[in-house]
Amino acid sequence: MSESDEIVPGREEIVSTPGADMLVPSTTIGTTAVSPTTPAEIELSGVVQVSERKQARRENWRLIRRRPSFVVGVFIVLVWTACALLGDRITPHNSLDFHAATHLSPRAKFPFGTDSIGRDVLSRVMVGARDVIKVAPLAALLGVFFGVIIGMLMGYFGGWLDNVLSRIVEAFLALPVVLVALLAITTLGHSTWVVIGVVAALFTPVVARTVRSAVLAERDLDYVTSAKLRGESSAFVMFREILPNVSGPIIVELTVRIGYAVFTVATLSFLGAGPQPPSPDWGVQVSDGFRVISAGIWWTTFFPAAAIASLVIAVNLIADSVQSVLEAS
Amino acid sequence: MGRYLLRRLMSALITLWLLATIVFLVVSVLPGDVGRRVLGPFALKEDVARYNHQIGTDRPLFRQYLTTIRRLFTLSFGNSYQTGSSVNKIVFPALFRSGKLALLAFVITIPISIAAGIFAARRQDKPADRIVVTTGLASSSIPEFVTAAVLLSIFCVHWRLGHVFANPPDGTSVIGQFRYLITPALAMVFAYFGYIARMSRAGVINGLQSDYARTATMKGLSKGEVMRRHILRNALAPTITVISVQIGYLFGGIIGVEKVFNYAGLGSTMLGAVTHKDIPVLQGAVLLVGVIYMISTLLADVLIAFLNPRVRLETSR
Repeated sequence: MSESDEIVPGREEIVSTPGADMLVPSTTIGTTAVSPTTPAEIELSGVVQVSERKQARRENWRLIRRRPSFVVGVFIVLVWTACALLGDRITPHNSLDFHAATHLSPRAKFPFGTDSIGRDVLSRVMVGARDVIKVAPLAALLGVFFGVIIGMLMGYFGGWLDNVLSRIVEAFLALPVVLVALLAITTLGHSTWVVIGVVAALFTPVVARTVRSAVLAERDLDYVTSAKLRGESSAFVMFREILPNVSGPIIVELTVRIGYAVFTVATLSFLGAGPQPPSPDWGVQVSDGFRVISAGIWWTTFFPAAAIASLVIAVNLIADSVQSVLEAS
Repeated sequence: MGRYLLRRLMSALITLWLLATIVFLVVSVLPGDVGRRVLGPFALKEDVARYNHQIGTDRPLFRQYLTTIRRLFTLSFGNSYQTGSSVNKIVFPALFRSGKLALLAFVITIPISIAAGIFAARRQDKPADRIVVTTGLASSSIPEFVTAAVLLSIFCVHWRLGHVFANPPDGTSVIGQFRYLITPALAMVFAYFGYIARMSRAGVINGLQSDYARTATMKGLSKGEVMRRHILRNALAPTITVISVQIGYLFGGIIGVEKVFNYAGLGSTMLGAVTHKDIPVLQGAVLLVGVIYMISTLLADVLIAFLNPRVRLETSR
């Protein structure tokens, strides 16, 4: 292990870890992760300023790529993405067809064994990546999109708007995501879009809180004041002036959210609030298989469970690298 | 202290009210009628009407809303759609069983993870620290049901140490129950270890670098005494907050664990309610979890104020 991948003290534990995102009421995320820009730079030498920012971004990207945990994470995610995209074209057997006797233990022809109706577990695990790989990033992206807008409004305008919205955010945080999602999906139906929408809606308050505190740190800086004095509209100040300066915490939040989305979506589909059998989705497979573990048939559960674990850990490795670099810069 | 508590209590009540509003909105205000959405497009008209009548969604929205609020503050959640009996009679015994499981999990998790946090902080950036941090990250990012399924195969099936079904028969002694509950509890320990360990590690690292720790060391206190009397007092505040938040959130993860181990707790009750479209039970359970979250965070704040005079004095001024 090289020097560079040493975890720098006091950095990664202050910010929310995936899943632990709702740790402390007053978050400390990203108050320092912003490239310092003086108003003079913006006013006088806009070109220089932009290229400096670009350079900083390139430097960050270089630092992120050099982290071994990032490389490992990306590799695993790419493998699953390939499986999701190519699906049955690259699996050894068709994921939905019955090929052999039921519950065959792992062997040369079926490296992961066969399931309760003789389908190949390996093929199903490969194809099963499809749902999570599609649903989780979409849900996270939507959640971050709305969260950024709401958080920006809260942080920028403050006052009663911030007070009211903060209360609502707090109320959302009082409930476990999986639980509310379960209630919502029961009343709305479990189509893919409902799952995406519900998870995104439940992520929005968390993201809003993060963005709010990042914006609060920016709001009274000189470049914001000078933009206001120039007579720029609130929308311009928020999304053209402040947004680029809080992009660090937002990117971190996005990667962390994707990890948590994988976690949530997998849990929901295990609980039956997602894709339904005969879908090869991992959560569905675990849910199909776990009852026969006590009969010694572990492979129908173990391999999809391991797949979930590998994807979640991979996404979190990426999130962790991005976070460590962006929060140090 | 009294005024601080009062203010904290008021804000908890407001949050509870908002929470009930959210739960109400999720069920009632979305477009279309609830019975049709829940029972699907092929259900008979009469069935849909009966369903709506039974769970009360055919009444004016405002009356429904008042009912939801009243249920929250009186903690009586109406009648189950499936069985017709009181939701309280279903939800509270289930909560008690989940509580036993959760208590066991936390009794194991809290000392281990705080100790691990202190251990790691004292060896900051050394291999031992890296191992704790990485294990914490990995363990807390894997969904609880995955851990539960793996533990089930290894502990209960392969080594035959625990029971595959976590429901102890009636009249099992406390020690007998332990053998039933320990494996599902371990799945939860695995999930919550990471957060708490990270938080206490961060707090202790902060404390170790602080001026007050240096002063205490220089006036001649031993390492252990500096840790116990000065650093831990400060470091534990965020850790206590994390623990209290986890107590609320564990009800998200416990559903999966209870399903894997067939344990008849609140999670299984909720899954049953999902299968039988029993929205009153589901609603009641969600509200109850919200109340538990509020109580545990409230207690945590009181505990923190008790530990740290700065908090209680500053806010009561």
